[in-house]
Amino acid sequence: MTYYSILPDAESRLHDHSKLFGKVSRYILRRYPVWPMIDHLANKVVPVHKHSVWYNIGGIALFFFSVQIITGVLLMIYYRPGLPWDSIQRIVMEVPFGNMIRSIHHWSANLMVFTLFVHMFSTFFMKAYRRPREFTWLVGAVLMGMTLIFGFSGYLLPWDDLSFFATRVGMSEIEKAPLIGMWLADIVRGGSDVTIDTIGRFYVLHVMVLPLLTLAAIGVHLFFIQVQGVSEPDSFASLPESRKRYRKYFTEFIFAEIPVWLFLGVLLVALSAAFPRELMPEADPFSSAPEGIKPEWYFLAQYQLLKFFPGKLEMVGLILLLLLPLGILVVPFIDRAIPANSRGRLVNRIGIIALLGLIVYTLWGWLS
Amino acid sequence: MADSSNTDGSKRRFLWILGGLGFGWLSAGIYPVYKYLSPQAIPDPFGEDGRALVERVTSAEVIKPGMGKNGAYGGHGLIVFRNQNGILKAFDSKCTHAGCNVEFQRDKIFCHCHGGTYNLEGKNIAGPPPRPLTELGVLEEDGLLYVYRLGKKKGDEVRA
Repeated sequence: MTYYSILPDAESRLHDHSKLFGKVSRYILRRYPVWPMIDHLANKVVPVHKHSVWYNIGGIALFFFSVQIITGVLLMIYYRPGLPWDSIQRIVMEVPFGNMIRSIHHWSANLMVFTLFVHMFSTFFMKAYRRPREFTWLVGAVLMGMTLIFGFSGYLLPWDDLSFFATRVGMSEIEKAPLIGMWLADIVRGGSDVTIDTIGRFYVLHVMVLPLLTLAAIGVHLFFIQVQGVSEPDSFASLPESRKRYRKYFTEFIFAEIPVWLFLGVLLVALSAAFPRELMPEADPFSSAPEGIKPEWYFLAQYQLLKFFPGKLEMVGLILLLLLPLGILVVPFIDRAIPANSRGRLVNRIGIIALLGLIVYTLWGWLS
Repeated sequence: MADSSNTDGSKRRFLWILGGLGFGWLSAGIYPVYKYLSPQAIPDPFGEDGRALVERVTSAEVIKPGMGKNGAYGGHGLIVFRNQNGILKAFDSKCTHAGCNVEFQRDKIFCHCHGGTYNLEGKNIAGPPPRPLTELGVLEEDGLLYVYRLGKKKGDEVRA
């Protein structure tokens, strides 16, 4: 057999032989018989209801991630892990558009974290984590965790005053973890203190290890969604079939998202122009710490909470902090009823408290 | 039938051996990688004579009571100052709370990160620090300052 034959179903739906698109499609399908996959994707639909907007958030996070890859690769061209601060200074002061690319990387990172929080909580409140989507949710949780490590590791790389001491403080929190804390902190830092050796580790983590793992996890996350389709909230699932409305995923849904991406791209440039990322003086590991050392906003809630547990009570605070990720990991296996029962409603209420707590503590940490 | 179960048995045995070899192969790889990633032994900041040169601070900079400065010794940060009684004091500058570097402020030692405050004896008196700062012994020699570990070695082996 020289070529694969084109399935009758495909033949009837492809463009005409004479058209360019028809020719290209047949050229490909004769070599790669992927019609069943294309057919599956072409039939994928997205429910239309008043909560539909939340289906777009994951795509927005993916947009920011793409921006991170592009700007990150560009920054790597001039960044030198052996001369961290000088090379960033050069990017900011000398390289054309360097300051803009660095600032876009900064803003896109922050918006990506924010978007992921929105994505996670909207998925949570729509109860999309229930069977059969438990593992889509868990892979999403892993992606969230990796994004936070992305943020923490990237923060140190400019090696300015702020990033140095903020990382030192962050590492001292890891040190306090029971049993393995010290060992883990030493392995991560490459010593008992944050030094230039730490940059090498954080750099490799930030530009190599995490991107590879994240890309793989995104692939799995999206594959699950393509296979299963998006989740329908209970209010939609209980409608009679005749009243359910759907939109085609390709191309209606995807195309509707493109203007949003274009807008966000412009927003990133505008934010970077209006609020470029500052570069503080080079880190001096021996001088006294500058004022106003605070972690990035997405660690502020934890940071603020830990303040209430000084000294020996710190362990209690750390255990309290672990409740949120633990809850995220177990919720698909605790709250399983479709439609939601009383336990499902309780889980929702706990979620609301967690969300409010996160917001209040973040603002509190930000203002104090 | 006997034939096929024989094949199954040898296939299973083969998979066990393969799995065992693979596991051994992986575990043999883990140790060198772990050692590679582990921090190298940290050299003792105090040399053979039990003392370390203070960098960035000379004795001229702490000549009068109330003068003090951040400096370094053997890869660590410290603060050196002369108190109101004219005695030189030195502390490791790492705040016992979250590891920021503290600052000497005439009547107290202060950490900007979270407002930790110590008195001039290094005792934590306000804010979150759980423990006093680590005190170091100081001595002056030819305009240079040296620090040594306080405690068992104090004064005996180290002389100005």
